[in-house]
Amino acid sequence: MDAAAGRKRWAAAYPELGTDPIPIEPYISPAYFALECANIFRRVWLNVGREEEIPHAGDHFVKEIAAAQSSVLVVRGGDGAIRAFHNMCAHRGNKVVWQDRGQCERFACTFHGWSYGLDGQLLHVPDEDQFHDLRKHELGLTPVAAALWEGFIFINLDPQPQQSLAAYLGDLGERLKGWPFAQKTACFAYRAEARCNWKVAVNAFQESYHVPFVHQRSLPDSAAGQGNPLAHPLAIILFPLHQTISIYGNPHTRLNPVDELVVRHGHSYRKRVVSQGDLPPGLNPTRQTNWGFDIDVFFPNFFMLIFGIGVYFTYNFWPVAVDRTVYEVRMYNPPPQNAGQRFALEYNRSIQKSGLTEDLATLENTQSVLASGAKKHLILQDNEIAIRHHYKVVDGLVRAPDGFGRTA
Amino acid sequence: MLPEPFRDLEPLAPHWSLGRESDRMEQRLASTMAEITEFYDAIMPRMDAILAHLNEHPLDAMPDDARRLLWLTLSLAEIAPAVHFYGQPSVINGFDARQFRPVDVPHFTPPGEPAATPPSSRHDKP
Repeated sequence: MDAAAGRKRWAAAYPELGTDPIPIEPYISPAYFALECANIFRRVWLNVGREEEIPHAGDHFVKEIAAAQSSVLVVRGGDGAIRAFHNMCAHRGNKVVWQDRGQCERFACTFHGWSYGLDGQLLHVPDEDQFHDLRKHELGLTPVAAALWEGFIFINLDPQPQQSLAAYLGDLGERLKGWPFAQKTACFAYRAEARCNWKVAVNAFQESYHVPFVHQRSLPDSAAGQGNPLAHPLAIILFPLHQTISIYGNPHTRLNPVDELVVRHGHSYRKRVVSQGDLPPGLNPTRQTNWGFDIDVFFPNFFMLIFGIGVYFTYNFWPVAVDRTVYEVRMYNPPPQNAGQRFALEYNRSIQKSGLTEDLATLENTQSVLASGAKKHLILQDNEIAIRHHYKVVDGLVRAPDGFGRTA
Repeated sequence: MLPEPFRDLEPLAPHWSLGRESDRMEQRLASTMAEITEFYDAIMPRMDAILAHLNEHPLDAMPDDARRLLWLTLSLAEIAPAVHFYGQPSVINGFDARQFRPVDVPHFTPPGEPAATPPSSRHDKP
């Protein structure tokens, strides 16, 4: 605490963010939402998956990006490169690929059979002679910028991205490089659509203040304990866009009989072993012994949670409307080597899913009253500063005349 | 049938030996606490012996009877929160579990497992 300035720890570290309440209007205003879509989601790098999902030439998936009114086709080409395209036929605009995923040698539009190569080139037009001055070489699928970071696929819907992916990820990307993401090949994934603004969802996962309350039954003593009863974070690092929030791990969690069984046979969140030596500098940044996990927030909507026990989660929050959000969760684990480890994995999945089910319930309950007019602002405590930071970054871009990168 | 040393657990298998996470969750939600507790009490004292038995087999090449027993243990993982956290089948003050659904990510399924969701439901959206 900065006693001289009367400021608490994080407010003193980031004085430019201030300490005022933040307005509710950005969570309920359709006009504000439209500006977020135009100035942010059509301008910045967005995570859409991992490269191992499409290992072979012709493997592809489709990502619906409602905030940009776009459908994006991500495909592994014959040359091994990953490319992205607008999933829209040049003929009369039909979506070329209707399935979520697939494997093919070329994409054939279901409407009139126009077909495209894995590199997006228009290959064949049925009854081509009946068109007037058709310039096939100009009518390929419209490219979308795509790039990889540590095996994660990012796309950017700006026809001319203002920054490379590496520049956009900046220091956070550098500091997390080298963690063995590619070795975590056993993944459990979930999807929910919640009736809430995307920032209500994002904010719910940017602080650990809620843990002793929302998770009083499932994870009451994981991020809180005798030495830290209200789950204060170990560190908060705010980059220009992104964030790292380092979360305490209680070494003395109470174990129920199934926890004890799991500890005997595999990894458990309740009994953590923290290895310090081989972590990249961005992980457990203050090198605490009682470290649980880090929350890395990649602006605007992609979270990575990396745990001391060697597993990681990702969250993607996709705005659908001002009060609708798709929430995607993936839990990536090292592949189990035997049945005991497989059981442990299933138990960890089960308790973490319980916790996320508790988190999700707060989202719709919050959104359902935000527009009541009863309150105009949200009050944030010092350990909720990442919410304030995210709001300030969003608000700055919403107010910029042409969005991300255009006015700086 | 389940492997010989655990054949007495066979009456539980039709309800709880389920290969897919979505089916295990549905079984949890459709059961009473009495049914969940009966399953828990029957399998829990046997778990160390069961896992020792199953650890003799590679996960991606298990005989069918061993695989049925593994699936039975995965249902214990599914219902453990009901027993130890909530005292009811579903999460207290939780989001609708049926609207928070498993999704398959190709090439990321644990070894020897069916996809988390049956093929017919993969493309429906809420």
